[in-house]
Amino acid sequence: MLTYVVRRLLYSIPVLFLSTFLSFIFVSYAGNPLAQIRQNPRIPASTIHNLIVQNHLDKPVVLRYFYWLKEAIFHKFGDSLLVAQPIWPDITRTLGHTAQVVLLAELVAIVIGVAVGIYSAIRQYSAFDYTFTTISFLGYAMPTFWLALLLQILFVDIYLKWHVRIFYTSGLNSGSSGSTWSLDRLQHIALPVATLSIISFALYSRYMRASMLDVINSDYVRTARAKGVPEWRVIMRHVFRNALIPIVTIAALNLGAVLGGAIVTETVFTLDGIGYYFVSRLGTLDLYAVMAYLTVTAVIIIAFNLLADILYGYLDPRIRYD
Amino acid sequence: MAEPLLSIRDLVVEFKTEDGIVHAVDGISYDVFPGETLGIVGESGSGKSVSTMALLGLIPKPPGRIPSGAAMFKGKDLLQMKPKELRRLRGDEVAMVFQDPMTSLNPVLKVGFQLGEAIKTHYPKEPDDKVDERVVDLLRLVGVPNPEVRAGQYPHEFSGGMRQRAMIAMSIANSPSLLIADEPTTALDVTVQAQVLEVLKTVQEATQAATILITHDLGIVAEMCDRVIVMYAGRIVETGDVHTIFRAPRHPYTIGLMDSLPKLLEDEEWLRPIPGAPPSLINRPTGCAFHPRCFLSQGRLRCREEAPVLTRAEGDGHLAACHFADELVGHQSKFSEPVTA
Repeated sequence: MLTYVVRRLLYSIPVLFLSTFLSFIFVSYAGNPLAQIRQNPRIPASTIHNLIVQNHLDKPVVLRYFYWLKEAIFHKFGDSLLVAQPIWPDITRTLGHTAQVVLLAELVAIVIGVAVGIYSAIRQYSAFDYTFTTISFLGYAMPTFWLALLLQILFVDIYLKWHVRIFYTSGLNSGSSGSTWSLDRLQHIALPVATLSIISFALYSRYMRASMLDVINSDYVRTARAKGVPEWRVIMRHVFRNALIPIVTIAALNLGAVLGGAIVTETVFTLDGIGYYFVSRLGTLDLYAVMAYLTVTAVIIIAFNLLADILYGYLDPRIRYD
Repeated sequence: MAEPLLSIRDLVVEFKTEDGIVHAVDGISYDVFPGETLGIVGESGSGKSVSTMALLGLIPKPPGRIPSGAAMFKGKDLLQMKPKELRRLRGDEVAMVFQDPMTSLNPVLKVGFQLGEAIKTHYPKEPDDKVDERVVDLLRLVGVPNPEVRAGQYPHEFSGGMRQRAMIAMSIANSPSLLIADEPTTALDVTVQAQVLEVLKTVQEATQAATILITHDLGIVAEMCDRVIVMYAGRIVETGDVHTIFRAPRHPYTIGLMDSLPKLLEDEEWLRPIPGAPPSLINRPTGCAFHPRCFLSQGRLRCREEAPVLTRAEGDGHLAACHFADELVGHQSKFSEPVTA
């Protein structure tokens, strides 16, 4: 088990190098980060020249990757390209906010999605099943930004009409600084969490339903019934645990999609999260900030894939790590 | 004869499908006596499994339906029982062994746990160490080597034969008075089949349980059973004690089944299968369901128009459902004479 984890971690090193290298090339060719500065007549040519020399912008792109790599490893991604401002504090702060929103959203989506999936499978073709099938497909088909906007409009209208503040529609806290766990924070992040979880919920409920139906008709469930095991225990002990195995993989893979969805959601709700940070830095073609975001998300996704594989082995004794 | 343990009367089982109603079991009646082994033989789709699953409430409803019939077990009608009562009976008084041991055990639970669950479900107050002890004893009884170690293993660490032994051990965990074995050896190698049948015999002796053995293998019937029921298209076509059936079969379908077996001591160039295919259970042939494939019918009108009923044939308890059973008197089955070699 331990050797498996170590080996997987070693494998992920070349994966990281390759993905950052490719990202670096692509982002570098996306545009010239100095273009906007050059248009500004008040910035002297010497400043621009200094930026070029400092950031080795006159060197070939492959070489620049290794300059970046050195900065990333030894100086925590270094400073951002245009302003002399360290990247790492921004990353840790915004990542904390995003983690709160994304993990809450995933938790809500998994708990509700799995529960609905189980019940839909047990009562297949019932009114409940059809209702949630419809809701799931609606949720799945709904673009993130659209759903986010609808929710904003709804709660702004409620506020305007009755002067009741249920949820806030932008920002993380009412004051300039606020605690991570407070009612105020929850009122602020409720709508982004709802946006992200509605879309993931659709995914989990459908997969859980299908997975439950696969298992419910299997021979060993019939064996359990033939033993006289009460029906609810058949479902929980024999069906649920087996049906959960594929869901673990889906949840790990879905995390990447949720992080992607967070970019849009955080932008709509102007949350100080890592997705919003990424989009705003991409707008100014701040190469190093963008690279820091891409590297951190790559690490997160690799970590969750590893976690999924370990959980998989815990749930299914047939999986062996050697 | 003694009072029957299980007495089935006019059992009908239907399944509603998009193409129409499938008459899986169409009015069958039979008795099972304490301690005996009853074989049910027939082709795939003849209703042999469904008829027993229906008794224990193990067919999905819908699409399944039991419009009529009675199944008296120890003075109570299984078909009128509430699901809860029936559940209490399953795995305790009546137990089942299924066909495919590779898929019949839960892959994520230890074998010992799954056996213990059979006991714990019905006797929740039994202390855990007692249950574990009993599980090991059961595994030993069915011939699983190293039962203490094996109980802590998962099904994928067992071979097919070992899994079926574990399944048999699970079924007798609460000393049932009726054991239903649904093709227990079909998915196994021939050598393993023989071992599993030995195990079945052992547990029958140990528990004195009456056994319904569902199979399509006449060899197993000859070896294991006291009486036999031959089913075709959801109906019983012939029933009797095993010696009579093999010596003097009185239904063309039974004869067809026997003739289709290759004989070891004769030089046979061709197998002799029953011509045609099993009938559709949605649109059953009129009259005798077997008439389109029957060598005896030869297009006679009565076979097509009138459904035959079970009538007394050779001796007590030997019944056959054929209008022209008399014409089969003296018919030599392949098994008519004892093999002397």
